[in-house]
Amino acid sequence: MLRDLVFASLLIIIILALTYLTYSGGLGDLPPRDVRVIASNYLNLTYNQGITWLWAASPEAVTAIVWDYRGLDTLFETVVFYGAILAALTLFRSVSKVPEFVSSAGLSLVVKRVTAIVTLAILAVAASTALHGHLTPGGGFQGGAIASVAPLLLLVVFGKQFFIERRISYSKLLTIRNASLALLGFTSVALLILGFLTGFQAYIFQNQAKIVSTLSYPPYLLDVPLGGSLFFFNLFEFLAVASGFTLVFTILLSRDETLRKELEGEELGY
Amino acid sequence: MMDYVDLVFLIMGISALSSVLFTFLTVKTKDLMYAVVFSSVQSVAYALIYFLLLAPDIVLVYVAVSVGIYPLIIILLIKKVGRYEVVT
Repeated sequence: MLRDLVFASLLIIIILALTYLTYSGGLGDLPPRDVRVIASNYLNLTYNQGITWLWAASPEAVTAIVWDYRGLDTLFETVVFYGAILAALTLFRSVSKVPEFVSSAGLSLVVKRVTAIVTLAILAVAASTALHGHLTPGGGFQGGAIASVAPLLLLVVFGKQFFIERRISYSKLLTIRNASLALLGFTSVALLILGFLTGFQAYIFQNQAKIVSTLSYPPYLLDVPLGGSLFFFNLFEFLAVASGFTLVFTILLSRDETLRKELEGEELGY
Repeated sequence: MMDYVDLVFLIMGISALSSVLFTFLTVKTKDLMYAVVFSSVQSVAYALIYFLLLAPDIVLVYVAVSVGIYPLIIILLIKKVGRYEVVT
């Protein structure tokens, strides 16, 4: 009882302190009266057709910053994320090879029908989030995270048997993931390679033409802004995130005995 | 007189306070399934704040992870360790 009281009063004190700091102007003027200089620079440049040597050809400033202006930062974030997934896959590498003989019938018919409809909706939202990432809020990672909820639901509701019958295997997902990551890397250096072959100057992570380097990804597809490399980055990131998450879920939803067998002997140090 | 901006900040304040309430319930409850649900409600309150702060990019990934992926992973964990927290 005393512990509860201390815990509750501690929470209240922290909230009051934060409220006081915010109210007395700790975060500056709230709501802010003007846009910060760095923000206004990006907003002015990202789709400015008058200054095409500094633009990203994308009306969505966030995606432009994430994959164009600060593309290298995002590359290293991606490396960290896929390193984590790679570690999980390596730790349970033999789990994928153990065939599952448990044929699960899944949940009831009502749940199955509802899940089938919802899965379609989730995949549609995910695809539109990822493929319109250069036009509307969203992007590859967001779309991939949304899309990975669909296989997770299918795994729980229909059982693992559903995936095996449809030949969606571990190795195929791994191939999709690896191919998407390779294409993601290739997109970042494609113009560099093209420049090397044709004798023009180009940069790593170059999207649109700069003053000293005239090579460029196409800014428009028909009359719709394409964002140059942003579209390709979003597409490959979407595929890589969705397949990577699905791989981890298939391992997590394996049988308990299989998972435990993999970690046996860890307490002895080998 | 209450204008539009004040209303937005009021809703943000209410969701921030309710998120604290649900965090408290998450920590306090002994039934871990309820703890997952409370935690998800807290995440929804945060998602609303992000949306009102004009960060729709964050909302899109935050909702998918905090209401979809994270509770399901925690439920898988609960399936392995047992539903009720045992006080010794």
